[in-house]
Amino acid sequence: MTRTDHPAEDRIATWHVITGSARGAAHTVSGLPNQDAVARQDGPGGTIAVAIADGHGHVRHFRSADGSALAVDVGCQVASRIAVRLTAGAPGAEEAALAGQELAEVLVADWRSAVAAQLAVRPYTAQEHSVLDLAADPPEVPYGSTLLVATIAADWLVCAQIGDGDMLAVCPDGRFFYPVAGDDRLDGQRTTSLCQADAVGSFRTAAHDLREVPLVALLLATDGYGNAQADEPWQPGVGRDLAALAAEHDHHWFEQQVPDWAQRCASTEGSGDDTTIALLLHPGGDPRTGRVQADAERGGPEWTD
Amino acid sequence: MTAPGSGWPYATDRNNEGLNSADGPGMTRVEPYSRMPGGGISRRPLHFIILADCSGGMKGEKIQALNYAIADMMPHLAAWERDQEQAQMFVRAIAFATEPWWHIPDPQPVAGIRWKPLQPVPKGLTNMGPAFAMAAEALAPGRIERRALRPALLLITDGLATDPPGQFEAGLGALMTQPAGKAALRLAIAIGRDAQSAALDRFIADPNVPVLVANSTEDIADRLVAASLAVSRMSEAGADRSALARRLFGTPDDVPAQIFEQDTII
Repeated sequence: MTRTDHPAEDRIATWHVITGSARGAAHTVSGLPNQDAVARQDGPGGTIAVAIADGHGHVRHFRSADGSALAVDVGCQVASRIAVRLTAGAPGAEEAALAGQELAEVLVADWRSAVAAQLAVRPYTAQEHSVLDLAADPPEVPYGSTLLVATIAADWLVCAQIGDGDMLAVCPDGRFFYPVAGDDRLDGQRTTSLCQADAVGSFRTAAHDLREVPLVALLLATDGYGNAQADEPWQPGVGRDLAALAAEHDHHWFEQQVPDWAQRCASTEGSGDDTTIALLLHPGGDPRTGRVQADAERGGPEWTD
Repeated sequence: MTAPGSGWPYATDRNNEGLNSADGPGMTRVEPYSRMPGGGISRRPLHFIILADCSGGMKGEKIQALNYAIADMMPHLAAWERDQEQAQMFVRAIAFATEPWWHIPDPQPVAGIRWKPLQPVPKGLTNMGPAFAMAAEALAPGRIERRALRPALLLITDGLATDPPGQFEAGLGALMTQPAGKAALRLAIAIGRDAQSAALDRFIADPNVPVLVANSTEDIADRLVAASLAVSRMSEAGADRSALARRLFGTPDDVPAQIFEQDTII
């Protein structure tokens, strides 16, 4: 497992993973650290798990940088375990969907355990306790963080998301879809969070059969990325361009680019917020099977272009 | 840029390699130095809406002082915009008397604002509710960007609301029903001590933020400077509004800080 603040890329059997994370310009000025985190974990049989998280950063969430770091570590561990199990069998749609739900349930439980374990060795200081008392918050709230997790195993993409940030699945022809459902409660001011009491219920999970829905790329990004995009909606242009770029360049080119994209989005020219990107690229050229349209016609993913 | 609805303030080109161009005033589009997917990046919009009283009571020195002070306020806001890391500010203005109307209907980059003087409406009343409803409409989902920072609203009036029964409440209710209206920083300047009222406190709805009273026309400019500081500093993402209010307005320590009551998580 690696937690990275720097670009990381590895060749695995099926997918390349390129990551970039940059501290927001506003955080630089205020002396705050990068409260985003990113991790990936490779497993047997070419399975891959990737997680990104965005610590809330508000004064109530004064340990949110730790919370996001714990979240991505736990996210990759849990997703990898599920990936191994999926690979061992020949999962159908129902089993894969259940794996997504299980992912959310175990993630929340394990993240809370990880927070408790850290508090056991690093208890709240008197000053931190006073903040906790003023806010009347339970002990996990200072660690509040979002989490986006994706794993690819046995031709299945299983993903889970709580809170803001974006997941974008990109097809070779530039069409895209959102791998997990939207959440109307995310109004740009507030977010769902791992630290809330009903976190499991606020997770959005899904499973997609990559034999039926061939993808060229999967983008995971914290909200510093989307908030920097001038287009509204920005997803169609990004999906189209990612497909075109993937057709023109190999993953080495993306290794150079992705960290720079994160840096630019986090700069004073973009959102000024911490920005983390994890880009999963299909390495085998065009993964199309000709079944995308058929899938859409029978009510599969809701394609958007 | 794909503009859902009219009045969106900026346009961007596709962010192609080697592109090197600039847009109009206030545009902060990046000069690309590598190829990035999508339509380019820009700072998050901060929408600032002025609601200015143009009732009959504003005639003469008051409206002149108000026009002068608002025009003088813009460079302060533009300077702040240049110096901070997150936002590009867009200004609109609603004038109101018996009825409201858009004085600046489309969001204008603050750096490019040339303030056109307001004129009072002879015998015009001070009906605030319809002005709030007009602002609410402008802040409805789909009318401002999803990525916009919390908007800021500044109400400037010299009198008590003269709305017919229920109209003030209906307008304020419409504003507070919109997520962006409820989340907005709402400030009020009362021109003349008599103008301060419970209605303005209800508009602000934050015990940390007092009504700014301008006892004389000379005070209007000072209060607008204070308001512009508040709009800029308190609108920044993650700002501790209570602490800033203490610093900017001298809010007493016994007013409970609201930072811990802010909704950060759902």
